[in-house]
Amino acid sequence: MRVILRTKPRKKPFIPIEAETIIPQNFLRKNDIRVYEGNKERRLEEIFYITAEGPAVSPDQVEIVLSGETGNIKRVGEYMNAGRIVVEGDIGMHCGNFMSAGEIIIKGNADAWLGREMRGGTIRCEGNAGHYCAAGYRGEKRGMRGGLVDVMGSAGDFTAEYLSGGEVRIHGDCGDLPGVEMRGGTLTIGGHCHRPCGNMTGGTCMVFGRVYDLLPTFRGAGNEEREYRGQRCQMMLYKGDTANRGKGSLLVKKNLNRTGTD
Amino acid sequence: MKIEDVVCPFCGCLCDDLVVEVEGTRIVSVENGCTLANEKFMGDHRLKTPIRREGKGWKETTYDEAIRETAQILCDADRPLLYGWSGTHGEAQSIGIHLAEILGALVDNTSTVCHGPSILAIQEVGHPGCTLGQVKNRADVVVYWGTNPIDAHPRHMSRYTTFADGFFLKDAFRDRKLIVVDVRKSESANIADEFVRIQPGGDYAVLSALRAIVQGKRSIIPPSVAGVSREQLFRVADLFLSAKFGAIFFGLGLTMSRGKSKNIRNAIELTEELNRHTKFIISPMRGHWNVYGSNEVFTWITGYPYAVDFARGIAFYNPGETTSVDVLSRKECDACLVVASDPGAHFPKACAEHLARIPTVQIDPHVNATTHLSRIQIPVAVTGIDAEGTAYRMDGVPIRTRMLFKGNYPSDTAVLEQLYAIVKEIKGP
Repeated sequence: MRVILRTKPRKKPFIPIEAETIIPQNFLRKNDIRVYEGNKERRLEEIFYITAEGPAVSPDQVEIVLSGETGNIKRVGEYMNAGRIVVEGDIGMHCGNFMSAGEIIIKGNADAWLGREMRGGTIRCEGNAGHYCAAGYRGEKRGMRGGLVDVMGSAGDFTAEYLSGGEVRIHGDCGDLPGVEMRGGTLTIGGHCHRPCGNMTGGTCMVFGRVYDLLPTFRGAGNEEREYRGQRCQMMLYKGDTANRGKGSLLVKKNLNRTGTD
Repeated sequence: MKIEDVVCPFCGCLCDDLVVEVEGTRIVSVENGCTLANEKFMGDHRLKTPIRREGKGWKETTYDEAIRETAQILCDADRPLLYGWSGTHGEAQSIGIHLAEILGALVDNTSTVCHGPSILAIQEVGHPGCTLGQVKNRADVVVYWGTNPIDAHPRHMSRYTTFADGFFLKDAFRDRKLIVVDVRKSESANIADEFVRIQPGGDYAVLSALRAIVQGKRSIIPPSVAGVSREQLFRVADLFLSAKFGAIFFGLGLTMSRGKSKNIRNAIELTEELNRHTKFIISPMRGHWNVYGSNEVFTWITGYPYAVDFARGIAFYNPGETTSVDVLSRKECDACLVVASDPGAHFPKACAEHLARIPTVQIDPHVNATTHLSRIQIPVAVTGIDAEGTAYRMDGVPIRTRMLFKGNYPSDTAVLEQLYAIVKEIKGP
C-alpha cells in the first residue's frame, strides 16, 4: 500500500504541524487521523491531499510518501514500528522519535532532534540534520539506544548526545560537542567537528576529518586502523573523557593537522 | 514618611534593607540602595494611560477597552505566546500560566535568554546549592565565573561575600579568597586574589581540566588549556581543595557562551567532585528580581520551569523548540502578550521583527523598546513600589515585596485577572 500525502496551501504556513499520527500502522486501518496545527486539532485531509494506492495486510507493507511544504511538520514517524516513510523534501523536528523498526528516508534536510531516543530501524537523511540529531530528550539520561541514523550532509551541535547504543553516521561536518555524554554505541563523523565526546563514559567515536579544540582530558592511547567508505585509515586513539570515567574511545584520522587545546 | 526594610525589585539579590522616603505618591529619597536601585525607585518614566496604535501614531484608550481587545487578539490566535513574567510578582505569574492553559498558548519567561541552560544542567545532574546566608557566614573561598557582580549585582559582594562579615569566619574581609574567572578583566577581577582569564568559549575545557586535577589526574593536563596555564590551574584547584567552604557563582558568561548547558553541567560536576574533599556549593547569579520566582511558579503549576507549550492542552517543554527566541525567529506564533519584560531590547533582530509583524500587546509600567513593536500597551503599578507581591531571591528564598504608597495604576494581578475573565467568557465553558 502506498499513501501519498501532499500538503495543501495554508493561511499561516509558519505554524508547525504536530503529526505523530503519521506512521504506517495508522494508515492500515484507515482510522480517523488527526494532527495539530498550533492549538487547533485538524483532520488529516484538512492539511494534505491524500492518495492511497494498493492493499496492505500489515504495517510493513505500508509506504507513506510526504511531499510539498513538509519542513514544518513535526514528529513524523514517532513510535513507528514497521513500514516505510519517504519525505520528498525537508522534515520538521522530532522525525522518528522513539522509532523501533522500519525505515525513514528524507530527501531534503531534517530539523532538530532527528531520531530522538530511537530504539531500532533506519533513518537516512540525504541532506543536513539540525541540532541534537540522535540525542535524548531534556533531562533523559539515555539517548538513542539502537538502530541506524545515516546523515549524508552535516549535523548541528550536540549530535548523538547521550548515545547509548546503535550507530550514528554523519558524513559531513558536525557542530559543537558531538557525542557529548555518550555512553555506548558508535558515532562516525566523516567531516570536521569541535570538541567531540565531552564527558563520555563509553562507546566509540571516529572522526575522519579534523578535530578542533580537542578537550584536554583525553589521553593518547596509540594508533589503530579503521575503514571508512572503502578506504583504510590510520587513526590516533584517545581514551576519555578522564574528567569522567575515561572508558570511551575517540579515534581521529592521522595526517590532518589538529588545532587541539593550545 | 520614611519606610524601613524596603525590598528592592531590581536584581536577583532582592536587598531588603532599603530605607525609602515617600511624599504622597512620589519617592523623594532612597538609602542603602545601589545605583540600579536608586534609578528604579526614583525613575519617573511611567506611561500614563493605556495606548493603542492607530495608523502611524498612538491613541489613548481605557483599561476596559485595551484589555477586551487584548483578549480578542489572544483568542483569535492559533499559536499565541505569553512572554516575560520575571519583572512581576508570583501571584500575577500564576494567573498568566492559567491564562496560557485556557488559550492553548506557549508561555515562557526570561530564563530563555539568561539561566535557562543552568536549569537544563540542573535537570541532568542536580544542584548542590545553599542560601546566600550560608555563603555569607561560612564561605572562605568565593568564585565568580562569567559574571561581574560589581556592575550587575552591585551589593552581592557587600551583603554576601567579599565585603561581608561571616559568623564562622574570624576576619572575613581578609580570610576570604576571591577568584574571578572571565574572558576580560572586569571591575570584579580588579579586586580578585586570583584572576583566571579564559579564551572566549574555553570554559568547558577549563572546567574539565579542573575536574581531572581534583581527581588527582594532574599528569594529563597539557601546558595550557584555553589560554590558562597549567600552573594556574593547579593553583586554583589547590585553592578550591584548601577551602573549608567554597561557593561558585556563575553568570551569563557561562550560560550563554559556547557549550551553554554543558558548561553548567561541567561546573556542577566539578562542585560535586569538590564535595568529596570539602564543602562546596554552586549558584546562578539571577538577573531579573523575580526570574527565580517565575521558574518556581511555572514549575509548581506546569511541572516545567520555562518554555511551556499548552497548544495541545497539556504542558510540553523542550527548550530549543518551545523557547520564545526560537519560536519567534521561526515566525511560528501569530500573537504575543509581553508582561513585565522587554524582549524588544534583548531579543535578536529577527525576533523583534516578528513581534512587530504580529499583534503584540505589552503590559508594563514603562515605555521601552517593546512599546515600539506593540499594538497596545497597558500600564500597571510597579511591584515593590505601588503594588505588592511575592518574589524569590536568586537562592530560592521567597521574600514579600511591599507597597510603599497607593497609586493610581492597577497591579499586574488586577489586569491579568480581568483579562482571564474575558478570555474565559469568550472561550465558553
